[in-house]
Amino acid sequence: MRDLPSKEANLFREILKCYELKQYKRGFKGAEQILKKFPEHGETLAMKGLFYNHLDKKDLAYEFVKKGIRHDMKSHICWHVFGLLYRSDKNYEEAAKCYAHALKYDKENIQILRDLSLLQMQMRNLEGYVDTRHILLELRPQNRQYWVAVAIGYQLLGKPELGVKVLATYEETLKDLPSTPDYEHSELLLYHNTLLEEVGDFQEALDHLDTIEKQVCDRKAIKEKRAKYYLALGRLTEAEAAYRDLLALNPDNMAYFEGLGKSLGLGGDLQTDEDEVKILEMFKQLQKEYPRSNAAKRLPLRYATGEAFVKVADEYIRSMLRKGVPSLFVNIKTLYTDSAKQAAVEKLALGFLAALDKSKGFDHSGVVVEPPTAILWTLYFLAQHFDFKRETEQALGYINRAIEHTPTLVELYMAKGRILKHAGDHVAAMEALNEARELDLQDRFINTKCTKYMLRADNMVEAEKTAVLFTRVDIPNPLNDLVDMQTQWFSLEAGESNLRQGQIGRALKRFHQIDKHFNDYTEDQFDFHTYCLRKMTLRAYVSMVRLEDQLRSHPYYVRAAQDAVQCYVRLFDKPDGSESEEMEGMTEAEKKKFRSKQRKAELKAQQEAEDKKKKAAATAAETAKKAGGNAAAAAAAAVKGDEDPEGTKYTKCEDPLGEALKFLQPLQQLAATRIETHLMAFEIYVRKNKLLLALKALLKSIKIDANHATLHEQLVRFALAVQKSSSAKTLKPSVKTVIDKHWSDLYGSHGQDLNAFSAGFIEKTKDQGSVAHVISAAMSVYLIEPSKNLTKAEELLFSVEDETKFGRTRTLENVLLVQKTLKGFKSSRQQEWKEKAKVWFPNTPAFK
Amino acid sequence: MTPPAIDMSSTTTAATTEDKPKNVGFRVGLGDITPNNLGQLKRLNTVLFPVSYAPDFYKNVLEVGEFAKIIYFNDVCVGAVCCRKEPADGSTTEQNLYIATLGVLAPYRRLGLGSEMLKHILEQANLPVAAGQAKIAKVYMHVQSNNEEALEFYKKHGFEVAEKCENYYSQFEVSDAFKLEKIIN
Repeated sequence: MRDLPSKEANLFREILKCYELKQYKRGFKGAEQILKKFPEHGETLAMKGLFYNHLDKKDLAYEFVKKGIRHDMKSHICWHVFGLLYRSDKNYEEAAKCYAHALKYDKENIQILRDLSLLQMQMRNLEGYVDTRHILLELRPQNRQYWVAVAIGYQLLGKPELGVKVLATYEETLKDLPSTPDYEHSELLLYHNTLLEEVGDFQEALDHLDTIEKQVCDRKAIKEKRAKYYLALGRLTEAEAAYRDLLALNPDNMAYFEGLGKSLGLGGDLQTDEDEVKILEMFKQLQKEYPRSNAAKRLPLRYATGEAFVKVADEYIRSMLRKGVPSLFVNIKTLYTDSAKQAAVEKLALGFLAALDKSKGFDHSGVVVEPPTAILWTLYFLAQHFDFKRETEQALGYINRAIEHTPTLVELYMAKGRILKHAGDHVAAMEALNEARELDLQDRFINTKCTKYMLRADNMVEAEKTAVLFTRVDIPNPLNDLVDMQTQWFSLEAGESNLRQGQIGRALKRFHQIDKHFNDYTEDQFDFHTYCLRKMTLRAYVSMVRLEDQLRSHPYYVRAAQDAVQCYVRLFDKPDGSESEEMEGMTEAEKKKFRSKQRKAELKAQQEAEDKKKKAAATAAETAKKAGGNAAAAAAAAVKGDEDPEGTKYTKCEDPLGEALKFLQPLQQLAATRIETHLMAFEIYVRKNKLLLALKALLKSIKIDANHATLHEQLVRFALAVQKSSSAKTLKPSVKTVIDKHWSDLYGSHGQDLNAFSAGFIEKTKDQGSVAHVISAAMSVYLIEPSKNLTKAEELLFSVEDETKFGRTRTLENVLLVQKTLKGFKSSRQQEWKEKAKVWFPNTPAFK
Repeated sequence: MTPPAIDMSSTTTAATTEDKPKNVGFRVGLGDITPNNLGQLKRLNTVLFPVSYAPDFYKNVLEVGEFAKIIYFNDVCVGAVCCRKEPADGSTTEQNLYIATLGVLAPYRRLGLGSEMLKHILEQANLPVAAGQAKIAKVYMHVQSNNEEALEFYKKHGFEVAEKCENYYSQFEVSDAFKLEKIIN
C-alpha cells in the first residue's frame, strides 16, 4: 500500500479488515471516504470495486477494479483484487494470470501464493501447484500444512516417492511427539503410510506401520493395512491371523472374507475342485463361529458349483423365503452370470412352490409346516426370476397368483409394474406402480418409483403432481425443489420423456441442468483444498480429488450427454425444431390440426400453472412476511419464475453440433471404453463433414464391438458420405489416402460393394433374432439404393414378426421402432404393420 | 412402520411330536390405520367383503382410534377390524360398539389372528373412560345366518345371539342375519 497520509493509511488497513470480516457495506463506506480526498488512489479504487462485487453490482465492480489497475499498474493489491474478482466469477484462468501478475510485484506474499495454489489445484495444474507450494514451504517451513501440501502435489503428479521424502523430512524436524493420541497427527502418519503403499514397497510400509502404531487413532485402518501388506508380501500365516482378527471385529465385511480366503490360497479366479471343498469347509467353520453373519452364509454361493451349489443355495434361499426377505432376488441374480447356477436356482424355486402347494413345506418330507408367507415370497421370487429371463407370461402368472394370495403387499405391484415395463407396456406398468403407491402413501421410495414410471409413460402432468408430494411445500414452485436438491433422476427421465415427445427445447433444458449439477460438483471441491489441509483429513481428500477427476463418467452424466447429443443432432437436421416424431409423415393439413391441438393443451397447462403459481405466491408471501424483508424479495423473484419454459434458448442456438461436442468431450476422455461414445462422435462428425474424425470414431467402435447394430448402419452411411464427397470432387487427396488405408478395416473384403457388405451383415446376424440388428440392416439396405431396395428393406422389417421364434419376448418398443422406420421409408405397408401391432398390443394408443 | 410384535412361536411350536409336522413360528402385530395406509384397508375390504363401503365408513375408521386396527403377519398386512361407536338407547353415559368388519385374508385364517383382533377390541372396550365420557355398555355385530364359522367364532369369545334379523342382507341370497352381542361390565 502506498502514497497515503497516516490517517488514510489506517483507514485503508481498516477496509482490508472489513473485507476479511465480510463487512462489505462498512468497507465500502471507508473506501468512499478515502476516495473523497484521493480520488485517484488505485488500491482504494480496486477495493471499492471488490465491495461492489459483494453488493451485487457486477458491472461497477469490474469498472472500478480496472480503474484501480490503470492508476496503479504495479500494485500487488490491485492485481490480487482483480484475481479475486475473476475467481468469484469462476473464471479461474484469468484469475490465475492476475495472481501471477500480483506476485511479480510482491514475490513473497503468502496470501497471494496460497490463493494461486488453490486455483492451480482446482484447474489440476499440478506442476504449478507443486512449484507454488515449494515457495510457500520455503517461506514458512515451520507450518505443517505447507509440508503436507507439497507431498500431496507429488502424489497427484504420480510421484508418491517424492511425497514420502517430504513427509519424512518434516517428521524428522518434530522434536516432541504428542504424548496423547492426536487425531491430526495420526491422520498425517496414516497418509504417510498410504504413500508408501502407493510406491509399492510393502515391506517398508509394513515396517512403518509398526513405528507409527502407537500414535494412530484409527485402529481399524492399521489392522486392515497390516493384513493387506502381509498378503501382498506372501506372509500368509500372518495374513490369515490378521484377517481372522478383523472378522471378529466385523463378520459381515465381504473384503475380510475374501482376504482370509486368499491367505489360505483359496478363492482365486481359477478354482480346482479341491479348493472348492476347502473354501466351503472354511465357510462352514465361519458360520459356526459367527452364526449371525449374513456374509458367511451368502458367500459360499459364489464359490460352490454343481451339486455343492445346489445344497448351499437350497439352504440359503429356503431360509430367506421363510424369513420373508424382499431383496432376495436382487441378491441372488448376481449369480446368474453362471447359467448353470441360474438353472439350478430355477429348479429349486419351482420345487419349493410345488411342495408348498401340496404339503405346505419347502419339501415333501412333511416335517415342517411353513407360514403362509413362505408361498407368497416364493411366488414373488419366481415372478422376478422369469422376468429376468424376459418370459413375460410366466412372470405375470406368478405375480398375479401372489397378488391373489396377498393383495395388500406393495412389493408385488412394483414387481408387476417392472414386468410390464420390460414388456414395453409403460401405461399398464405405471398403473401397477400407482396401485402400489396408493397402498402406502408415506413411502418415499415407492412414490419416487411411481413418478419415474409416469415419466416413462410420458405422463408429465401426473408425474409432477406425484413428485411434489415429497418435495418442500413452502416454496412458490415445489418442482424447483427437485432442481435445488439436484434430483438428477427426475431431470433425466423428464428430459427423455420430452425428447420422446419431440419437445427438444424442454429436453435440452433438463440435460443442461444435469450438466450444471456436475459443474457444481466440480465447483464444490474448491473449499476442500484449504479445509482438508487444515483438518489433516488427507486420505479422504486425495480420494475426493481423484473422484472429481472421474466425475463425468457417472452413468447419469453419460446418459444425459447421449441424450443431449441426440437433441442437438436433431436440431441440426431439422433446425426449426418444431417437428416432433409424431408428426413425421403427416400431411400439411394433419400437421396443422396436430399443432393446434398441441397449442390448446399447452394453453390449458399454462393456465393451470398460472393458477397454481398465484396460490403458491400467496402462501410464499405469507411466510416471507413472517421471515422478514430479504425473504420477501427472494420469494418475489422466484414467483417471477421461468422466462423460457420451452427452452427456446437451446433450440435457437447457432451451432448445435458445437454444443453437442461440448457434451461429448468429457465422455471421450472418461468413457472411451463405451461404444456409445464413439457412435455419438460419428453422428456429430459425419454431419460436420469431418470424415477423418468420423473414420476415427468408426475404428474405435469396431474395436469395442464390431457387430454392434448401429455401427453397421453408420459404416454404410460413411461409405455413402465418402462416395458423395468424392463425386463432388471435394475430397482432399490426403484425406482420401488415409480413408483408403483403413477401408478394409471397415468393410473387409467387400470393397465398394455396399450391397454385398450389407448382405454379409444380414447373414451373420440373422440367427440372433435381434430387432436392433434387423432395423439397422433395413436402414442400410434402404440408404444404399432407396428406390431399388425398398421392398427388400420392408421385408427385413416385417421379419421382426418372427422374433418370438428366437425365444425373445415381443416388446412394444421394438414394434414401435419398426413402425417408425417404415414411416421413415414412406412405406406403403405401414397400415399392414399397424394391424399386426394392434393384435399384439391391443391397449397401446399408437395402434388404435 | 413396525407393528408391535407378538411372538406366536411359543404357542404354535409347543405341540411338537415325532409324527406331527412342526409349525414354523411367526410374528403377529396390530397396527394403526392412518391416511397413509388407508389404501391397504380398502384393498382388504374389497377382497374380504361383498359390500363396498361408503367414504363415511373410512372417515369413521380414522377417527375411532384403537377401535380400528390392521393386523400384520410376518410384517405383511393381512387383516383388519373396524368398529364404530353408537349411542345407546336413551342414555348419555353409555354407548355401544358395533363391529362393522373383522376379517383376515384366506391363506392366513385359523392362525389365531381374528381372535387377536377381537381380544384387542374387547380389551379396549373394557378400559375405564375419562370423566364425562360415555362408557361402552355392549359390543355387537351382525352375522349372516348361514355363516357357521363366524357364529362359532363369536360364541367362543362370549357373544350371544340377541335376535334374528330377517332380510337384513337384502341384496344376498341368504338374507337373514343374527345379531350377536356381549355385555361389557
